[in-house]
Amino acid sequence: MVGVLIRMKLAVLRNTATGGKMAWVALGGTAGLCLAIANIVLAFFDFAHPRMLMDLLAVTFALWALGWMAGPAFAGEPPLNGQHFHRQPIPRGTLALGLLASAMVAVTTAVTLLAFTSLIVLAARLNLGAVVVAVPATILLLLLVVLLSRVVMLLFGALARSRFGGVVTATVTAAMIALASFSWIVFIGIYLLLDHGFPPGLSMLLRSLPSSWGLLSVEAAGRGDRWWTVGPLAALAVLDVVLFLVWRRLLGPRRPARAVVRGSSAQRAAPRGWAARSDLGVLYLKEMRTWWRDPLRTQNIVLPAAFSVITALLPLMVDFTGFFPFVGVATALMGAATCANLYGQDGTALWMTLMLPGKEKADVRARQLAWLTVFGPMTLLMTAAGSALHGDLFLLPWALAANLAALGGGAGLLIWISVMDLVPGPDPHKSKNSPLDHGDVTGQSFLMLLLTAVAVLPALGVALAGHLLDRSPLLWASVPVGLLVGAACHVWFGDLAARRLREKGPGLLQLMRSGKRQAVADAPPTAPAPSAFETMGVKSRFLMWGSMAVGVLALFPQGLVPLGVKLSGSTDRVWFLALYMPDPWQWPVIAGMILIGLASFGGMTAVYLAASRKTKENAASRKAKKEKPSTA
Amino acid sequence: MAAFRLVGLHKRFGEHTAVDHADLTVAAGSFYGLVGPNGAGKTTVLSMAVGLQWPDEGRASVHGVDVWKEPLRARRLMGVLPDGLAMPERLTGRELLTSLGQLHGLDAAEAARRAGELLAVMELDGSAERTLVVDYSTGMRKKIGLATALLHGPKLLVLDEPFEAVDPVSAATIKQILKRFVAGGGSVLISSHVMALVEQLCDTVGVMAKGRVVAEGPLDEVRGGRSLEETFVDLVGVEIGGSEGLSWLVS
Repeated sequence: MVGVLIRMKLAVLRNTATGGKMAWVALGGTAGLCLAIANIVLAFFDFAHPRMLMDLLAVTFALWALGWMAGPAFAGEPPLNGQHFHRQPIPRGTLALGLLASAMVAVTTAVTLLAFTSLIVLAARLNLGAVVVAVPATILLLLLVVLLSRVVMLLFGALARSRFGGVVTATVTAAMIALASFSWIVFIGIYLLLDHGFPPGLSMLLRSLPSSWGLLSVEAAGRGDRWWTVGPLAALAVLDVVLFLVWRRLLGPRRPARAVVRGSSAQRAAPRGWAARSDLGVLYLKEMRTWWRDPLRTQNIVLPAAFSVITALLPLMVDFTGFFPFVGVATALMGAATCANLYGQDGTALWMTLMLPGKEKADVRARQLAWLTVFGPMTLLMTAAGSALHGDLFLLPWALAANLAALGGGAGLLIWISVMDLVPGPDPHKSKNSPLDHGDVTGQSFLMLLLTAVAVLPALGVALAGHLLDRSPLLWASVPVGLLVGAACHVWFGDLAARRLREKGPGLLQLMRSGKRQAVADAPPTAPAPSAFETMGVKSRFLMWGSMAVGVLALFPQGLVPLGVKLSGSTDRVWFLALYMPDPWQWPVIAGMILIGLASFGGMTAVYLAASRKTKENAASRKAKKEKPSTA
Repeated sequence: MAAFRLVGLHKRFGEHTAVDHADLTVAAGSFYGLVGPNGAGKTTVLSMAVGLQWPDEGRASVHGVDVWKEPLRARRLMGVLPDGLAMPERLTGRELLTSLGQLHGLDAAEAARRAGELLAVMELDGSAERTLVVDYSTGMRKKIGLATALLHGPKLLVLDEPFEAVDPVSAATIKQILKRFVAGGGSVLISSHVMALVEQLCDTVGVMAKGRVVAEGPLDEVRGGRSLEETFVDLVGVEIGGSEGLSWLVS
């Protein structure tokens, strides 16, 4: 059973390995690998304070666990889940065991396991007994995070079917993302406290987390304390078993019970008044009703707001309220990032838009306006309230300008991305009992976050200029600049989206129907050839993403960052190869790394261009072949 | 003039040819049944014909209006029910129909009137009034889909598997409405793999197999004195499976 499920998982991975997906796997894998290596390197360090290393490792393990718990909110359901098998006469225990084993076959699991080997590194620095303890502890720790992820996913899935559950799920997820992604605030605190160690209370709390129990065992084995060696390890094993049992129980067929949202009565159903006056009004009313009634949308609203508020509250630990005015901006940014799959969420309902030619523009504008209605007043209010609570109006122009730019930029970009980079998922009526079963929007969210942040930059640039030149009017001019950039994005990207919808509508519908991009054949004869990303062979693909990974590693962490470190005059060597070299060699090594990085990017571009040329030639020869019979 | 004419529609997905130069003509006022086994290309050919999927080659016209060159005019003439596609799911049936009616250019009062009548005929009002489309059963989904296809008063209906997974009561309602539509001068094209149903409703049939239209004509001509099912098996050129192997099944 276990073998069968692992083979199935491998088959699923193989069959879903499209170019775009592999890109994200490569990128995510590289980033994860960097983190994992950093985690291992950390275990080699010596600190002035004896408890420091333990506490730091406890923090990193807790962060990995948090990441695993928050991950499914973006990545959707795992490729194999209990739902697929509940009609088969397989004992649930066997199924759970098989699914657990198949869950271990993943890039994420491999990277996490690598990070957790820092436990073995730590043990190796203590004694042999500690190593003997560390090996099972590492495995139990990995099981813990995987099981936690699966159980949390199923519990959230059950909750998320109702709108109230959506609020709860979104808030908890937001807290986890905020903790995981803004942990650098914690690190700043740690840096400040490097010589004093963690406050005892925090240290105690960190060590009591299940993700630290393995550490406790290893540490105890190092000092020969038998009870403290066995105790936490046994507790971890018991917790794993309990989680496994809970998971096994939750794997059964899902109960269909869920809060049913009711629509309006017959008298109030039809669009009337302002809504009936134009296509835009009719479509806007439809979109607003969807925002109000769909539990998934509820999550999309609450998650950004909760994330921003929690993130702003975190630095209160060090009595810092400077983030408060920016809560609105952060909400708008995150709102744009989490809502960028509007068309994908509606699934194949796009056919109705296609059957009404000429209404694409109204459809796009209605969705933009609805998003603005949801996020506009809310974020502006947050900016106002945040500024008031911060008690100093100094930051207000910055926050307001950025907020306006993020709203307009977000409204424009999200609709554009939703047609450019549509992530297909199951149709809403098929996933009504499992709202978390959506397409993997992680890549899309990050892309949106980045793009919207870029839209905010001009306004912040003006504000910065005003601040540096000490000109108050220039500082305040950032507000109209933000508004202007936002409005321009809103209009321009909205137009682009509508045009793409008009020209590529049937292709998008096909994408949502089949769940994957059709290479070559699906484009109309006049359409441009498909991108080389979709058609290039496995070898070229491997070469391309491999070069990119090497390029990223060499250029940034081993080239530019040590360059910065050296320029700043710091003597910390961390894990930068160049800084471990004898002094005269440091500059050449940095230059070499930058060269390797640039060369890798060059290689990647070359591979892409070659593949792209081949695709175009193929398309041309196919077209020629097609035209031949008709001319003969 | 034909109500619906498909000429040389062709579609390939990678190496697989889904529809191979299919020609098909629905005469005005006829009830046309398109039959074929699963994977014969029925859904693909209909999607291309109504403008929901790009054909590699070929064209389609509704009462002489080209579907791809004049989409707006063509779509005013036809009502479409694709198989198994989503709708704006978080609306009630009435909200959906009234909005759609207004988007089709009907004034608010007329849209409300038509929506009311359609919902009453389809039995989607009353206790189902405030149910969202996402919570509709399969039969209700087919009925609301048919209602959206009928709403703007088209002259041609193109319905992909309108009876699949529909309960007998809803099916009877749909049949009744379609018969009235044809009697009133409209034309209907349905696809189905239920032969008995096609024999009962249609006057013209087309048979598709492996992406090609292998037979087309008046029902009696095509089946030539036999049942449609027998003719179909011959035309499609398959052997009926199910008699070999499986010795372990009941022992």
